[in-house]
Amino acid sequence: MAGLLTTAGPAITTLAQRSEKAEQELSAATKDAIPVTLHVNGQKHNLRIDPRTTLLDCLREHLHLTGSKKGCDHGQCGACTVHVNGRRMNSCLCLAAMYQGDEITTIEGVGQPGNLHPIQEAFVAHDAYQCGYCTCGQIMSAVALLSEPVGPEDAEVKEFMSGNICRCGAYQNIVEAIQSVRQSTNRQKAG
Amino acid sequence: MPTITETATTSPIGRQTPRIDGPFKVSGTAMYASDFNFTGLLFAVPVEATIANGKLQKLDASEAEKMPGVRAIFHRANIGKIFRSVLQPPNSGIADERRPPLADDVIRYYGQYVAIAVADTFEAAKAAADAVRATYTKDKPNVNLDLQPESEPEAVETTHGRLKRLQSERGDPDKAFASAQVKVDQTYVTPAETHNPIELQGTIAMWDGQMLTIYEESQAVFNLRSVLAQMFGLPKENVRVITKFVGSGFGSKLWPWTHCALACAAARQLGKPVKLVLSRRMMFQSVGHRPRTQQRVRLGATNEGKLVSLMQDYLNDLDILGGYHENCGESTSYFYSVPNLRVHWGRTRRNIASPTPMRGPGAVPGLFATESAMNELADQLKIDPVRLRELNEPKIDEGKGIPFSSRHYLECLQRGGERFGWANRNAEVGSMKRDGSILGWGMSGAAWIAGRFPAQASVELRDDGSARVACGTQDIGTGTYTILAQLVSDKTGVPLNKIEVVLGDTSLPPGPISGGSLVTGSIVPAVFDAADNAITSLLTVATTEPGSPFGNRTPDDLAFEAGRVFAKADGLAKGVSVSDLLRRTNMRLVTGSGKSEGTLDEKKPKVSMHSYCCHFVEVTWQPATARLHVNRVVTVIDGGRIINPLAGRNQIEGAVVMGVGMALLEHTIYDPQNGAPINSNLADYLMAVNADAPLMEVHFLDYPDTDVNPLGARGIGEIGLAGVAAAITAATYHATGVRVRELPIRIEDLLTSSILA
Ligand code: FES
Ligand code: FES
Repeated sequence: MAGLLTTAGPAITTLAQRSEKAEQELSAATKDAIPVTLHVNGQKHNLRIDPRTTLLDCLREHLHLTGSKKGCDHGQCGACTVHVNGRRMNSCLCLAAMYQGDEITTIEGVGQPGNLHPIQEAFVAHDAYQCGYCTCGQIMSAVALLSEPVGPEDAEVKEFMSGNICRCGAYQNIVEAIQSVRQSTNRQKAG
Repeated sequence: MPTITETATTSPIGRQTPRIDGPFKVSGTAMYASDFNFTGLLFAVPVEATIANGKLQKLDASEAEKMPGVRAIFHRANIGKIFRSVLQPPNSGIADERRPPLADDVIRYYGQYVAIAVADTFEAAKAAADAVRATYTKDKPNVNLDLQPESEPEAVETTHGRLKRLQSERGDPDKAFASAQVKVDQTYVTPAETHNPIELQGTIAMWDGQMLTIYEESQAVFNLRSVLAQMFGLPKENVRVITKFVGSGFGSKLWPWTHCALACAAARQLGKPVKLVLSRRMMFQSVGHRPRTQQRVRLGATNEGKLVSLMQDYLNDLDILGGYHENCGESTSYFYSVPNLRVHWGRTRRNIASPTPMRGPGAVPGLFATESAMNELADQLKIDPVRLRELNEPKIDEGKGIPFSSRHYLECLQRGGERFGWANRNAEVGSMKRDGSILGWGMSGAAWIAGRFPAQASVELRDDGSARVACGTQDIGTGTYTILAQLVSDKTGVPLNKIEVVLGDTSLPPGPISGGSLVTGSIVPAVFDAADNAITSLLTVATTEPGSPFGNRTPDDLAFEAGRVFAKADGLAKGVSVSDLLRRTNMRLVTGSGKSEGTLDEKKPKVSMHSYCCHFVEVTWQPATARLHVNRVVTVIDGGRIINPLAGRNQIEGAVVMGVGMALLEHTIYDPQNGAPINSNLADYLMAVNADAPLMEVHFLDYPDTDVNPLGARGIGEIGLAGVAAAITAATYHATGVRVRELPIRIEDLLTSSILA
């Protein structure tokens, strides 16, 4: 590492100085921001955000709740699934400012290591993922599915989970994981 | 969830092991590149060319620059110097797209970046990027689907160096084909496919005046470092790449793409951390794809079904500047016994972005062609396709003239057939029915390379009874975190829940790229070596350091087993645990480094190493609604020793699901008007969803291949995809009588079927 001090990259141009100045002026973007209050995982957050901010970007970039993922930004993959008042929603299709007063639940509010939701535990036990990128969205859908009118067959679960794409293709294990939780809940109810 | 009760004596190798990183993945606490956040973070959005061939005439950023929150609009004139990188043999500095971003004003593919907007928020950056006005002089793009070979010399430059286009030849294939009793001569086409990992690619770049630090979801952190060091004129020690979790890649994240250099350059110009995450549309335009292939396959055989000639002439399309070669002949020269053979290839340049390896590159489209031809030959000969394969099983690798390390392909066929119920097949087209649907049965085989990349690792044993293993490889969803822990646990007796695994960082010992299904095979010897060296160091501590109960012994008198050091003369029971020994000697840890050589660059290999598999597929065809569904798939894998069968089965199932997509759904379509991939979103580019997934049954033969490494473990990330599409088209023919030779199978193809329910 002898050469470390002598190997600085090309000099930073005047643009950098310009941007410092811009910073001092207080970013104009913040000037256009609007106040928004969100209730996420039982906590109230008072924010000032760009009115164009989606609920997904708001969760990720402002609240640093990065368990909700962006896979398409178009409502086509399900990676951003959250619960709004208990129903599953694609948060990339929601404008954050329109969900004030609603109860928003993200994966972080479902369970954390050491205190996982039965669906989360079942996903680990059944290896219902590979890369894990679609997983939080799958779990949000699966948790919501538990209280949706879904028949007992695998085929119905597959249909109800088809809004969440898993490019790794862990579908068979996802169904197994969900069914294992449904069956043990049914057993508990019956017992 | 089964709780893992570990005892120090059971090895976790070969045991169904829930992933050690699982609790992070299911709770949103696993940190992928774009999840990181830093003070002062700025957001970048690139501006994409809206033509595929022509020149950037004028770029007007004046409006965009004035927008609220915008820090800069960078383009060729103000981005600063970005150098060209070059391949550094044997295996570093690899990139499919070499032209540095913004290097000139020529547009060669749709979506090529012409500028980049940086702002305080993502919303502001996106609005600014949209407000940049670009004017072009346009030429008609060439995205023609009919591939004709360029006139290239017989040896050409590729991404990986110079290659001969005559890939393999033996005997006199033309003569043998001309006089063969039975012949197949067909052309097979596979379309451009886009990897589409669910994680969007992106970069967070930070530049402090000396050190460039990158968070990026890379399948090859060390290669990315070597390319960036070249592009920014830095010693590689001044570039650090960090990749903790990767939202899969399937090849698209193997080699660096231009957005990464743009983010780095923007961070350098502004002196702030910059986050650039691609849109899904950009994922279709500028991070690689599997190229279109067109393959003529000629098979000549005797009336009894013995192959006498095999010829494969294949083409792939590629970008204007690059050197990508889709190696469709990867398994052709050794898979079957045939005395006369020729494999030859060519390429065709188009106004498209660079292709790049996609899961099972070459072999997956290649085996679609050759296995489809084998199935057609079996039908012509009226013999069972399984029987045809048995008749042509080679004794050695006839391409290289060397023995196989471990090949159990025939056993795959036999097991698969039994599990599937193949003996009940009625070969007549449209003859098998169930519940008002026609059943179609088909099968196919496949092979995929095995071997090792060079790898290094380090293992620490610590005074609290825990261990740490570090290796600069990546876990792209294949379970590498868990396998590293299993290997260390096997060697040291430390339970899995006490092993810290660190990977995905260029500050660690260099590890293998996550490509070619070679990670597992490569890391086994390096990690074992590191663990052995840590244990040797421990025994030295035991005999030399004050406080040790073994002060009067030599290392040779001692042994290590199940996490305990003991004198051989006294036996395990009288030994002390690692933590005890380290505490008594007042040491926090002992450490060992390990290393293993690669096999892929061997000039004269002694054995031919591959994995093998077969798929048996059932489709249902409902003529009234023209609905084709893949019902069930039985897959048998000869993949060496399987270290974690839980994750292993999942890998294969996932590959089969991708194969269903390849056969029935996936197809990137380029608009002939403007050269754009027009179905560049996840609603128009169809991939298999949960309801498309068949019932899958996976079997592993589990024959250790000790030529690969001492455990006999080969990789299995890609083999499961190879052959699936050929088995599905065979099953489709069996159900409908329609032979589809161009993927994906479309409803239009099947409407010609005359089979009724
Ligand atoms: S990111 Fe919202 S559905 Fe894909
Ligand atoms: S686990 Fe990778 S996309 Fe589902």
